[in-house]
Amino acid sequence: MAGFFSGLRRLYLAIYNWLVFFGWVQVLYFAVKTLRESSPAAVYDAVEKPLQFAQTAAILEILHGLVGLVRSPVSATLPQIGSRLFVTWGILHSFPEVRNHWLVSSLVISWSLTEIIRYSFFGMKEAFGYTPSWLQWLRYSSFFVMYVTGISSEVGLIYAAIPYIKNSDLYCVRMPNKLNFAFDYFYASLLVLAVYVPGSPHMYMYMIGQRKKALSKSRKSD
Amino acid sequence: MKVSVVSRSGREIIKGGIDLSDNATVDDLKSSIHQRVKKYYPARQRLTLPQPGKGKPVVLERGKRLKDYFEKDEGKLVVVFKDLGPQVAYSTLFFWEYVGPLFIYPIFYYFPVYKYFGYPAERVIHPVQTYAMYYWCFHYAKRILETFFVHRFSHATSPLSNVFRNCCYYWTFGAVIAYFVNHPLYTPVSEKQIKIGFGLGIVCQVANFYCHILLRNLRIPGGKGGYQIPGGFLFNIVTCANYTTEIYQWLGFNIATQTVAGYTFLAVATFIMTNWALAKHRRLKKLFDGKDGRPKYPRRWVILPPFL
Repeated sequence: MAGFFSGLRRLYLAIYNWLVFFGWVQVLYFAVKTLRESSPAAVYDAVEKPLQFAQTAAILEILHGLVGLVRSPVSATLPQIGSRLFVTWGILHSFPEVRNHWLVSSLVISWSLTEIIRYSFFGMKEAFGYTPSWLQWLRYSSFFVMYVTGISSEVGLIYAAIPYIKNSDLYCVRMPNKLNFAFDYFYASLLVLAVYVPGSPHMYMYMIGQRKKALSKSRKSD
Repeated sequence: MKVSVVSRSGREIIKGGIDLSDNATVDDLKSSIHQRVKKYYPARQRLTLPQPGKGKPVVLERGKRLKDYFEKDEGKLVVVFKDLGPQVAYSTLFFWEYVGPLFIYPIFYYFPVYKYFGYPAERVIHPVQTYAMYYWCFHYAKRILETFFVHRFSHATSPLSNVFRNCCYYWTFGAVIAYFVNHPLYTPVSEKQIKIGFGLGIVCQVANFYCHILLRNLRIPGGKGGYQIPGGFLFNIVTCANYTTEIYQWLGFNIATQTVAGYTFLAVATFIMTNWALAKHRRLKKLFDGKDGRPKYPRRWVILPPFL
């Protein structure tokens, strides 16, 4: 019975990882194609559907961690995926004014490269129980560059959207109301920007720790 | 008796080890370490026995003799040292936690702060906002006074970093709740609901105070802490009646003032206290298992009857 469930678990995770992998491949393909044939301003419209699909599917990853399907702690996946969802839905989807910004190109290329490596790594692991060492090296080294370009693009796009957020009432709740509640999306976005300041170096250091752990382990087993 | 003090990675903390008399206690060892390394005062030290495998290491408790931990004369005794970081007394921690909300809340009530949030008009104060301010300040004044005159703490100190963490929690929530309850556009609930809320809250605060008196009497003054079966009043029904009354006290405040911020604080506080209560319940059940002449811990609710 236990063997059956672990088989089922592997099958599900393999399908999940490869499905999201193809989502990100599409994002990268359409982004590069648009950049070559047209301009950075057209990138968003070209990648919108696969980007929203692949990024939203990452919510399942938080759930996988919560129910113990995978070992990655929720404290690591939640801020990473949460900030990406905020940019995907809360900024790019909600404020079309920033979609033609050139940072969208660097954003989706950084994200898709990282995720193509990551999902193929986990997809290999679940489907074949084997990962080539060069893929593992990429998985735990690409962040050195991709984190910097990705996070800078995220922060830059939120910053670029701030004036539009300030002039709009989108997602805002105003008093008076019976629940005595108010929510201001402008201040919430500023708070998100502020969280990036300690959050980014923290995640960077976390990944360096992961890298040390993973790469030293594989050297020992060789 | 020679004791060698090492770090978890095996590095020697005290060069050459420490010489102690054969009857030395854990306290003697700690003060000797303190003498050698001035910054490691006893409360900052955690001493354990070397751990060959995984699992929880054995902690050397204050007041016990070192001999009790080392069965035979093994020649050289080894203890593992961990620096717990700077420590503060629990009363200091509690004082700073509670003094923030006590002073931050009335600022929103008395001073024209809302003009800095974009509400320049003079605000009309509803009676419920006045009651809420007195209720709030009474609550935190009560907690500060209890800290100094009622509570007896089992552990003498807490890490300094907890002061910053807990103050962030209490002060921020205090400010956010004060902001919404004293807001110029605040909408009060019906008079009947206000009376029910504050009524429940006041009854629970009095009950909570009585719970704290009962808990105080469980510990002998100048004693070394240790656990007893709590009893009397609500403790005959609930293990952590002090948390129960605290939670219902906040529920009363929220019924009367009705803010999302207040209910959020209630939910977070309930979550935190429930974890503490479950841990305490488990500890008491394990400690008083009814074997070897130890009393058996009676069947009780943990924190929130009739649910838990």
